Amino acid sequence: MAIDLKAVEQLATDQSSLKAAAGLAKPAKWSGVGGSEDGALIWGECAGSGANPYRVMADLRDLGNKCTCPSRKFPCKHVLGLLWLNAESIVPFAPATTPAWVSDWLGRRRGTSAGKPASPAAPAGEKDLRAARATEPEAIEDPKDAARREAQAAKRNEETERAILDALDALEQWIGDQLRLGLSGFIDDATARCRRIAARLVDGKAAVLAGRIDELPARLLALAAGDRARGAAVELGKLVLLARAFRATPRDAEIRRAVATSETRETVLADPQAPRVNGHWEVLAEQVQTRRDGLVSQTTWLLNLTAHGPRFAMLLDFLPASAGRRGSVFTPGERFQAELVFYPSQQPLRALLLRRDAADETLTDEWPAPDGPISDALTRPLLTEPWTIDIPLLLPRGRIARDDAGHAWWRAADDTATLPIAGSVEGLLAGTEVMGAAAIWSGNRLTILAAQTPWGRIAGHD
Amino acid sequence: MTEIIEPNAIKPEAIFDAMGAVVTRWTMGAAAASAASFWRAELGDDPVEAELRLLALSSQFLGATVMTEPPSALRVLPDIPALALPIVPETLRPLVRRILAAGKDAASKAELVHFLAARGWTTHPADWMPDASDEDAPDVYAAWRDWAAFAAAGELTPRQSSDQLTQGNWDDFWPAARKAALIGLRRRDPSAARALLEAKFGGENADARLRLLSLLSERLSGDDVAFLEGLVANDRAPKVKALATSMLARLGRGPAAGEDIAELAGFFAVKTKGLLRRSRVVQIETPKTPAQWQRRKALLDGTDLTSFASALGLAPQDLIAAWDWNVDPAADAALIRLISETGTDAQLAQAAGIISEHDATGLIVALAPRLAPAERTRFAAAGLRAHGIGFEMAQLIAGPAARLDDPLSAPAGAKLLAELRRDDAKPSDYAAELHALGLLAAQTAARQALQGLTGAGLLQGDPRLDMLRLNAALDDKGEKP
Repeated sequence: MAIDLKAVEQLATDQSSLKAAAGLAKPAKWSGVGGSEDGALIWGECAGSGANPYRVMADLRDLGNKCTCPSRKFPCKHVLGLLWLNAESIVPFAPATTPAWVSDWLGRRRGTSAGKPASPAAPAGEKDLRAARATEPEAIEDPKDAARREAQAAKRNEETERAILDALDALEQWIGDQLRLGLSGFIDDATARCRRIAARLVDGKAAVLAGRIDELPARLLALAAGDRARGAAVELGKLVLLARAFRATPRDAEIRRAVATSETRETVLADPQAPRVNGHWEVLAEQVQTRRDGLVSQTTWLLNLTAHGPRFAMLLDFLPASAGRRGSVFTPGERFQAELVFYPSQQPLRALLLRRDAADETLTDEWPAPDGPISDALTRPLLTEPWTIDIPLLLPRGRIARDDAGHAWWRAADDTATLPIAGSVEGLLAGTEVMGAAAIWSGNRLTILAAQTPWGRIAGHD
Repeated sequence: MTEIIEPNAIKPEAIFDAMGAVVTRWTMGAAAASAASFWRAELGDDPVEAELRLLALSSQFLGATVMTEPPSALRVLPDIPALALPIVPETLRPLVRRILAAGKDAASKAELVHFLAARGWTTHPADWMPDASDEDAPDVYAAWRDWAAFAAAGELTPRQSSDQLTQGNWDDFWPAARKAALIGLRRRDPSAARALLEAKFGGENADARLRLLSLLSERLSGDDVAFLEGLVANDRAPKVKALATSMLARLGRGPAAGEDIAELAGFFAVKTKGLLRRSRVVQIETPKTPAQWQRRKALLDGTDLTSFASALGLAPQDLIAAWDWNVDPAADAALIRLISETGTDAQLAQAAGIISEHDATGLIVALAPRLAPAERTRFAAAGLRAHGIGFEMAQLIAGPAARLDDPLSAPAGAKLLAELRRDDAKPSDYAAELHALGLLAAQTAARQALQGLTGAGLLQGDPRLDMLRLNAALDDKGEKP
């Protein structure tokens, strides 16, 4: 089934979409490109601005299409790019088994009318492929302009830094107030109080910190009532540590990431300090959370099955909640060869997916053994980043147990540790030996992401 | 002389001891720096700053070293046991998960699980496990149901279970395993199963008694009459009595007909027809008022097949043969209900055969649960070929153990292919029909159907074909009826 560029042109909503698609119609932007054996479906993964690539799929029979990007344009530039690749045979679309995510989309599709190409009589509007493809000569820049722009940027940076420092002063004062007014009152009224200081931090350009404080009450509530005063002291103390660290080194990218904003994808890619790791990865789990600030965070945890590089990688994307549920990019348990670039850090964890080969069934590496005693794994990251909340770790052989109140605990087979589990554990995970597990230690609770058992690899708990 | 305290010299125990007081003071809103005098130098002299520094230090100590103490009594659940049938091959598990996820209600999940069991497979426990109360789960899952019951019950040691259920070890069995053992015993030795029930019946609650009694439906015989009559006379629960009554009626021991039965007979007339081969026909007198409709329904609900037939002066099998089908659907449905609840197996088979010929195939669905799997398959195939029913209806008749040879060549298949080829066909059309086809077909037939359907323009990856794909890929290791 072949399409021509005319169809791509007609499908585009405007000239700028075509222009953007022209930029994406290059093999280097794509991975996992394929097509169904009957030639009707094509799909591929396109690197976008997030940590995960976008999954793009199209039905060539009626040009129905879908992309996991949050764009409001329909079709988006990624779909146009994929069709363009196909129309001009820029990359081979190797016949393959239809991936589950394409089948899922097919099952959800409603009628075909919406995806039908415009009738030939319809005016093509102002859209023109050749114009889209033409590369505009780069304007030669006046050195004076460049200098002025640099000066402006420096001034903006300075203003931002000033605003953040002011906001952190307000934060420390607020923390002192909470201590003076009593943590019991703080625990009772945490949501409203945190909301107020979070709003102040957003005004002060400390958006990441604001998000963290917005989620603080939920973390406190997850603790047993008797443990909340301790939990509140830990949470507030970490904020003091982070504020002080920022004051000491306001330009440190790692600390800035925890307070204000993260670097853009381009900055990370251009940073020679950002470690690039080519390895075998297993998708442990995906966590989707709707945050109080109206964003949905999508966190994908990867386990490095090779001996070199960081043990875990975290791919983090934020989407507006209004964009609706976005399809998962990965299937838990899936393994692939991929190159990741980590945000520069003393303990690299957050990463971007640079390039990924098609899923590979032959990657049969065992899970690595835990790197050391469990007490080390729980605390080592705190030495360099004492404000860290989530600590991923591998657990040795153990088993789920329950107390009289029905709360779940993970107990090491050698009895060296018994850790409380966040939430409940039902079904298989509670009724089998756990030969090894990948988990997150967060706020004194353990969340199991995935486990190796006599029944094979199984998912963690809710 | 001032004593200088080196930070290194502070013992963790000292910090630990002080933390209790520090957190308590903060909880109440009091300054806490004085409770951590060992950090006097680090905290400095400014009281506001000292509290913040103490908070930062305490946070690290409390976050890294203080763990929630596990209670002394932790309970570990036993291993989830392996089942008697193997788990579906790893490569097919994603397909099983997708079908389970697509079937929103418990009934459609049960349908898949029964299909797998009929083909000789079970689910992976990470993909699907029955609840303790899941009476619809196939018997092969009894051990998992009992595991779930054990997990919920909070007992410390699992009960022992052996293969043979006896009076002595009755209480050692969890309910689902006991049910499975009792079914096995009933098949091998019907009298022994009944004797066991007689001995243990009184100790169970009404719901359990009802479930246990229903197990006697299999191989029901005259030997069971005394036990059933005892229940009708003495059981405390009306629903148990009702079930025992209906089982007695299946054995031709219906209750003595009351005065009402003559009134019921008045709604029907037995006529003869034909000149040479005179045959009888039951003519249904149409009730004239809504009140009469109600009355007839109430009377039919309260009787049994034998009483009804004898009130008309007929033997039950003659009543079934002489019934005028497809004239009064309400009366048809009521008679079918009487047959399925109070008829013997032979009467049931007779009725199924007759209504299959009379193009009233829908009524077979009500009789199907009591028919043997081979019979169900036969009627489903006949319905598809001769009466143009759809795959969903055929699947209801055939049940989970069907293995139809070439269902797609039936009129329903031709109709389906034609609909799927239409220009305005939508990607979600006929999903239920295709799913039912996937449950009905034998493995080879499923492969052929896949070819036929992709030939008609469906994509290989179309999720509507999931059930067919699973069927085609799953080796059939089940017992054939």
